[in-house]
Amino acid sequence: MVQILDVMDKALNGKPMSESDYQLKLFAPKVQEKVREHKIKYDPNNPIPSDNSMADELFEAGMELLLDVGAYCTSSGRVISYTEAEIKNALKEAPSKLHFGEGRDRKSLVKRNIEDKTPPWCLLGAGGGACSSDKSFLTLVEGYAEIPETNAITTPAITRVGGMRVRPASPLEVLAAMRNAVLAREACNRVGRQGIPIMNSLATAESDIALAAAVHPKFGMRQSDGYMICCMDPMKVDFARLNKVAVALSLGGSIGMCFGPLLGGYAGGPEGTAVSNVAHHMMGILTYQSSWLLPFTIHLRHVASSPRDMLWVISSMGQAISRNTHLLSLNLNYTTAGPCTPMCLYETSASVTAAVVSGLSIESLGVATNKHEDRTTPVEPRISAEVGHAVAGMKRSDANELVKKLLGKYESKLNSPPSGCPSSLKHRRFAKPCKPLHWFSQQ
Amino acid sequence: MGEDKILKGLHDAIMNYDSEAAVSASKAAIAAKVDPLMAIQKGLVPAIEEIGDKFEKMEIYLPELMLAAEAMKASLALLLPLIPKGSKGTKATVIIGTVQGDVHEIGKNIVSSMLMAGGFNVIDLGVDVKTINFIEEARKADAKIIGASALMSSTIGSQKDIVDYLVSSGDRKKHAVLVGGGPTTKEWAKEIGADACGMTAVEAVKLATKFAKGR
Repeated sequence: MVQILDVMDKALNGKPMSESDYQLKLFAPKVQEKVREHKIKYDPNNPIPSDNSMADELFEAGMELLLDVGAYCTSSGRVISYTEAEIKNALKEAPSKLHFGEGRDRKSLVKRNIEDKTPPWCLLGAGGGACSSDKSFLTLVEGYAEIPETNAITTPAITRVGGMRVRPASPLEVLAAMRNAVLAREACNRVGRQGIPIMNSLATAESDIALAAAVHPKFGMRQSDGYMICCMDPMKVDFARLNKVAVALSLGGSIGMCFGPLLGGYAGGPEGTAVSNVAHHMMGILTYQSSWLLPFTIHLRHVASSPRDMLWVISSMGQAISRNTHLLSLNLNYTTAGPCTPMCLYETSASVTAAVVSGLSIESLGVATNKHEDRTTPVEPRISAEVGHAVAGMKRSDANELVKKLLGKYESKLNSPPSGCPSSLKHRRFAKPCKPLHWFSQQ
Repeated sequence: MGEDKILKGLHDAIMNYDSEAAVSASKAAIAAKVDPLMAIQKGLVPAIEEIGDKFEKMEIYLPELMLAAEAMKASLALLLPLIPKGSKGTKATVIIGTVQGDVHEIGKNIVSSMLMAGGFNVIDLGVDVKTINFIEEARKADAKIIGASALMSSTIGSQKDIVDYLVSSGDRKKHAVLVGGGPTTKEWAKEIGADACGMTAVEAVKLATKFAKGR
């Protein structure tokens, strides 16, 4: 089994290569080679395909890609290579079930299959969206914790401490990360969900030092939380990220590698992006020692997961992983439209449907491309979760027709989506649903 | 070799994302005493503009854009020194990088390539660039524009540091500061005193053109 010391050994002794050569002369052409060899083909008429053989080809293509290109360590300037035996063993040893949370909020994240009736694991909240004040952070997280389907919280990120804007890898970031931990737990306590896990620990800790400081138990973080570490696209890691891995492992925490190969980025179009996503799953359990995975692939132009080709990528990648592995994978979705707009709800419904019927669980969500500070509400994650539960067990062919209808409602508006409303207290509680939620329920 | 054939060679090298061919075609242009300014304007520029258009329409993707920009850069390295001072070779020098504490590079790479495609002399400092390095490199290169990219809400504070440093050191008027990246907005640019925020790569090029002669 590949362990953190093996990863470091490979990072220090792997093949030397410049970052540019790795990305442009190794990774990018190899992805296209795999697409050609395995005849992977995007079909815009079927954003949720029902082709099992293509899902299996996609899985093979992803595994071959990882074998051919490995991962790249930007700190050492070397390629971290893996053998086929190491990859297969990591897939075999990866957990098919994990427990998160405590007390009555302790739940199991389980492997899902295509068209599985098991409801998806619902990791709900802001997906690290920017939040300017302690008060709004608390109120938002309270709202997320109150959603009945919430299995775990994905918190916002705090942008200010003591009136000062956070600076990366500075005491301001360390203090903000500590505050993130304390406030998240406090918010859950306030609404009686003391045991609910925080699974994007910690959104505010971009640097390794901030994470290491803020996971101290006195700030409220627990072994039963989820420790999210973001991979650099494509297939890259550095010592700072490996430091985070070492810290999370020392706590006995479950690491989730999040990764977002851009559609239109180094992997090219939808076919290459799907192959890259599959390869990232396997790279994550090896390099980042992940026991669960968090793909959040987004569209280069629209910075969202709702365009037609993105739905195909999510579904194809999900089917490839769920048919061929028992990995625990949650898809994070972004919308172009802002909160409390019908378009935002259509977009998230389509992305969630594509993920859930394809065997994935969900993290929801980043609204309005997660770009704006204080522009998120609990309404959208709640709808996402309800949709996720509703479509569990749906046939892919039916889901395909459903998302095509949803696409018909928003696809033409992706270039000029509504920005929605800024966060305000009235949108944070469900006793007074905002107008779009009521409107949506009438459809 | 005829002039038309040489210009076509330069054009094709960019369209084929081929740095070696771009160097060969540039050497051929120099050997044949083709006006270097014409070689750039009639050989390279139409090709890289075509590449930029294709990328905008997603007919090609990031690797092709970056390889074409590298080919353009390799060719310009040979042709630009031959252009007499005062001639219009490139629009202006832009210092670009991802701010301190942030290692995300894709957005920065896209803007860097598109600026190059737009005829700018781009000095790309990479990622996790210290505030002082942006400023020192801008001073050294007499760059009119500093482009600072940031992807995280926890790192955009470093964009403010660049503006604040220029103000404190009395150099604010010398360099336009353009910001961009995931969490940056026009409101943020205004709040920190930056000159503008590019919401897309195309807008970034338009803004750089606007500030090419200074603030």
